[in-house]
Amino acid sequence: MVARNSPYLLGVTPAALLLTLFFIGPALWAVYSSLTNLALVGIDAANPRFVGPDNYARLFQDPDFWTVIRNSVTFVVGSAVIGQFVLGLALAVLIDHAERRGWRFATLAYAAVLLAWVNPTLIAGYLWSAMFDFFFGSLNHVFLSAIGVAPVDWLGSFPMPSVIIANVWRGTAFTMIIFLGALKTIPPDIYEAARIDGANAWRRFWDHTLPSLRPIAALTLLSITMATFGTFILIQTLTNGGPNIATETIALYAYQTAFQSYAIGYGSAIAVVMLGLNLIFAVFYLRWSRARA
Amino acid sequence: MSRYSRRTFLKVAGATAVVVACAPAAQQGGASPSQAKGLTGTITVSYPDELGVKPKYVDMAAQAVMSKNSGSTVKIDLQKVSDDVYYTKLLLTLQGGDVPDVFHFGGDSIAELADAGYIEPLDSYVNAWADWKQYPDSIKKGATYKGKIWAIPYGLDTRWLYFRRDDLQKAGLPADWMPAKLSDVVAAATAVKSKVSTVTPYALYAGQAADTGARDHAFVPLVWAYGGDMQTSDGKWVGNSAAIRKALAYYQTVYGQGLSPKEILTTTKPWTAMRAKLGDGSLALLFEGGWVYGGWASKDQAGTQKNVGYLLHPTENGGPSFTIGGLGTCWYLTAKSKNKDLAWEWIKTWNNKDTVAKINIEDPHPVARSDSADVPEFKAQQYLVDSTKSLEKAKFLSPDASLSKVTTVIQKATGRVASGDASPDDAAKQYSADLKQAIGASLVVDQ
Repeated sequence: MVARNSPYLLGVTPAALLLTLFFIGPALWAVYSSLTNLALVGIDAANPRFVGPDNYARLFQDPDFWTVIRNSVTFVVGSAVIGQFVLGLALAVLIDHAERRGWRFATLAYAAVLLAWVNPTLIAGYLWSAMFDFFFGSLNHVFLSAIGVAPVDWLGSFPMPSVIIANVWRGTAFTMIIFLGALKTIPPDIYEAARIDGANAWRRFWDHTLPSLRPIAALTLLSITMATFGTFILIQTLTNGGPNIATETIALYAYQTAFQSYAIGYGSAIAVVMLGLNLIFAVFYLRWSRARA
Repeated sequence: MSRYSRRTFLKVAGATAVVVACAPAAQQGGASPSQAKGLTGTITVSYPDELGVKPKYVDMAAQAVMSKNSGSTVKIDLQKVSDDVYYTKLLLTLQGGDVPDVFHFGGDSIAELADAGYIEPLDSYVNAWADWKQYPDSIKKGATYKGKIWAIPYGLDTRWLYFRRDDLQKAGLPADWMPAKLSDVVAAATAVKSKVSTVTPYALYAGQAADTGARDHAFVPLVWAYGGDMQTSDGKWVGNSAAIRKALAYYQTVYGQGLSPKEILTTTKPWTAMRAKLGDGSLALLFEGGWVYGGWASKDQAGTQKNVGYLLHPTENGGPSFTIGGLGTCWYLTAKSKNKDLAWEWIKTWNNKDTVAKINIEDPHPVARSDSADVPEFKAQQYLVDSTKSLEKAKFLSPDASLSKVTTVIQKATGRVASGDASPDDAAKQYSADLKQAIGASLVVDQ
């Protein structure tokens, strides 16, 4: 058995080693340090102690933590599941449709969406903060002042919608590219047949396009959910979690705890919970994609 | 007022650099016999700088050390990032083995760095250093933690309640406005709000975005103004107290009446916008660091002198006004340094009378060395003389290893009230609970 499979095992070994080195190793380290009071400053930095599940007990009693979880779910559902996914799919269908008809603007639209994606996240964050900023932002000082409307405190009054919009803008291209690729794999004769049967555009989309996209949709959702769950640079540059903790997501909370309060142990506990939640998402999506396939 | 413009000063500084580089021995008097032979080896000096003021003084000191100790090399690790970014990077470096020998950071980190075992006590060095007598006792006390000296400051922190004379006059207040008590600040801000609609009345830092500004430039002076303390005499942190509730109620008044912009809670580095606004007159009142004055003065000296007034922090009932002092930035010697004598030599060389005077003229701070205040160029600047004098009225937070964690708790409490999410009483209760959770219930007392 082993002998017969040895070529495959040999082939898998480098990937397994890399995974162990770059994923399983750090994950195990995070689990270990979440059971200590390791810190970057103070006496705990000099003499870290094993504290067992204390960090988790403290975390689950922390009222801010539940707000942070709620924020994360809102942010993921708003910007990934609804925003990026639906908008990306719509854009892909529209661009695919336009391309099939040879309309040139399709390439332009494609390029425009792609540009948002090729920007580094940090630049995207600064771009949006340059627009949203109350004091110097272009939304207030160019657009609203042109039509005589008083400046709006976008990030203060509508913090979560603002960061969601920025993240949708930034991430829609990924979903769009994936779906554009997937749409090209659907054989055109299915649509021909549907058309002959008298199905309108909506029915053709619902009955034929969507079912063909399901497996790829599950993987895309999984991928953008995880990426969005881990987003923190964008939020950090836009609101840094504020006002108060209205846009503080779990990744930002873990970062701030570990690297601004310098509590590595407690920050690791947050990261481990985040890892657990990501695993739950992954299992859910993978099961869903298999069930449908 | 000054007879010396910034440009004149830069020329003087440049000339000094040449003189120091050519005649290092003349600059450094009183070398001990072992130093006369010269120290050898290599040290690395690590520091952050965004303003561009420090590098020439660092280079001067490095040249001086290397000329005096011919077998020595001073490597400079200049990081052009903000202090908070630098600190995180530094802490991660200090956890490893390859550490700089000397680094530059704020004096309020002494306790947490000492407890972590990152830094070396300097007692044996300062005891053998003739110039140490130039440092006032209050400064020595500020650099002392658990009975040892851990860092050498050079430019101290003071803070002012800045106000725009032009804005206050438009609001019907005198140009030489002088609040007798804390409520006069709110009254002035209210007058500006109702009469000068184009001007933001007041900036009171709150929330996480305001960083240590929420602590040093707002919450802590407010607690003191209401007669409270941040810590008890035995070093415990005060959780819920009358003064803390009053300070948070002050936030509620200021934010509830729209006197301070809520955008402070969401803007990245809100102090950048607030400082710029006070400088151009679109903000009327701001309690801020003394060093901020230099930015305005270098842009428009005459306008700043005419329009920007600076005062101590008033108290609740008109008691003596005060300010909050700080050690400013310091030089530290790392515990893992392999060449501590040479590292100390560098720290000592940097902290000479002239450098301490001159860097604090360029980046205005009160001087840590008394004799530096006698340097004519320093004495010629009225603002610097006032700043140095203000420290006689300053209160200081004691070095404490929990300060970073307490700061986060302060940011949360002030943010909750400023955003309207919590009443002052609830926020004070939560402040106490958060403190207990962050630093341990045994270190917190409610009064």
